[in-house]
Amino acid sequence: MLWPMYPVERLVNLVALLLEAGRPLTFDDIRAKLPEAYRQDDRGSAKRQFERDKDVLRQAGVPVDVVPTDAFEVEEGYRIRKDRYYLPEISFSAEEAAALLVAALAPGAGREAAEALRKLALGADASVLASLGEAPAVAGVDGSGGHLGSVAAAVAERRRVRFRYRPLEGEPGDREVDAWGLLFRRGAWYLVGGDRARGETRAFRLSRFASPVVDAGEAEPAPEGFRAAEHVTAGPWGLGEPETTARVAFSPKVAWWALGGVPGARVLESRDDGWTEAEVPAAAGESFVSWILSFGADAEVIAPRALRDAVVSSLEEVRAAL
Amino acid sequence: MPPSKRTIERLRRLLAVVPYVVRHPGTRVADLSRMFGVTEEEVIDDLNLLFLTGLPPYGPGDLIDVRIEEGRVWMSMADHFSRPVRLTRSEAVALYLRGTEVLGSPGVAEAEALRSALDKLARTLGEETLGALRAEVGDGGQAPAPLDVVRTAARAGERLEIDYYSASRDRFGSRRIDPEQVFSALGNWYVAAWDVEADDERLFRVDRIRDARPTGERFEHRGLLGQGRDLYSPGADDIRVRLLLGPGARWVAEYYAMEHVRERGDRLEATFPTKDLAWVGKLVLRLGGEAEIAEPADLRDLTRDLAAATLGRYGR
Repeated sequence: MLWPMYPVERLVNLVALLLEAGRPLTFDDIRAKLPEAYRQDDRGSAKRQFERDKDVLRQAGVPVDVVPTDAFEVEEGYRIRKDRYYLPEISFSAEEAAALLVAALAPGAGREAAEALRKLALGADASVLASLGEAPAVAGVDGSGGHLGSVAAAVAERRRVRFRYRPLEGEPGDREVDAWGLLFRRGAWYLVGGDRARGETRAFRLSRFASPVVDAGEAEPAPEGFRAAEHVTAGPWGLGEPETTARVAFSPKVAWWALGGVPGARVLESRDDGWTEAEVPAAAGESFVSWILSFGADAEVIAPRALRDAVVSSLEEVRAAL
Repeated sequence: MPPSKRTIERLRRLLAVVPYVVRHPGTRVADLSRMFGVTEEEVIDDLNLLFLTGLPPYGPGDLIDVRIEEGRVWMSMADHFSRPVRLTRSEAVALYLRGTEVLGSPGVAEAEALRSALDKLARTLGEETLGALRAEVGDGGQAPAPLDVVRTAARAGERLEIDYYSASRDRFGSRRIDPEQVFSALGNWYVAAWDVEADDERLFRVDRIRDARPTGERFEHRGLLGQGRDLYSPGADDIRVRLLLGPGARWVAEYYAMEHVRERGDRLEATFPTKDLAWVGKLVLRLGGEAEIAEPADLRDLTRDLAAATLGRYGR
């Protein structure tokens, strides 16, 4: 070997050559033009070296095409089309650039997002970019158990996927799903798609995937007007979907944060004993009762009667089970 | 790292550094080092390597001309690299997904700008790069009121005085904290901070901060871990809790950090450590008979008292 394994300058020169050639170049053209590269006496091993370089370029995101150079398609030519290589001009306002930075810098965001930003940052001010190595001001979330990348790729490429799934209730089992969309809700990612065995649209929380995602062929297209958000329901730890309203009293210790977390809550009265009575959107089912009980003796449902009774009977069940 | 992987990274970096310097003549080496997450020596190595590259016939006038003076860089003869390489699908998808996560976390002031930036990105890159990817944001919930104050203080390195309700201890009080990392996990905002009085690291939920007041005092970041950390840090005095969860309570094993989970017939046995039992009592209460306490016995007494006190509110 006359030179180190992968001298980067050879690769940079190869990119420049193919980009500026204006036509596909055969391996022999390339060999003749690039100084010192691919000059092994044995043409076969030089060609293998070139093939490895081409793969490295592709892995680095450089679009190298292989095209026939004559009508008989005997010889292959290589080229980098400018329109496929160059990033189209995108100009971001200072606010947009800063916002993208926040997203790309979320710890756990990984190299790919930061890499994307470096390319996009071309028009941005150096002061925005200089933050790329600094502590971020906000972060994203990763409850996806490492499946997000492969699931996103399946959605992007319209694939059907197979995986083992651990549902919240019931036995773990295998699922085959047409990957139609992703949804991010309250800190969790969901794949929403066509469940083949059940013949209907279902949502699968990525943190409950119990195996890697395996490709299972091309997906059926998503139904017209498909929206992932319509297929994901609230988790049992939340307030539930509001159907009615309740009047609830909260102790001074918890009132401010209990109400701060509830969209649509309205303070009705500050009582003399320091408690706050408020109108709170409520689900009809158990989730609202459960939420009320999470405050223990610091919350009391005043009305409606039915919810008050539900809280009492739930408490009595707890007592019986102890 | 195998050599080829290092090579790929270095090539990617070079193909991004050149357009940036061409577009921004006189860029500081220090800025490039921060931007690309490499040392200044590595930046200089990269730049020196570019001297050797160019176009055929590779005469002195065909090679990229790099000038480094007083820590600043100029470049010419690099027109063929005056624009960066297109985003690869995985880069575009990663940025898009991270952006979607930020949009789905309530109360981020940059949300509007981010949404328009992501739209612009999707429009410009098109299906060729992003494929059929669609990522939606569900209902993100309510943003906690002190979020902005806490984020600003974390960015500026300013000490805060907070009124905080600790749900795990069921205690309310004031303390001074040095907020470092603000992050969102499982739908809640947290701040990893140094608790000045405790002289130790603590994790606070932002929605339980009733009021946050900047003190004007500055602090140096200690490098506390934010996103990706465990939300619970085990300690020597931890109490071990073991619950048997019925079908309606299985979500608990997913929502809280567990030490051990296993199937026991039609129930789930969940074991986890805690520093305080107060919150576990409330948890058992809200599970409405779907959870059986296996240990500790104290928890049974505490829950019984709590149930009695709560029933007392309803005249029972």
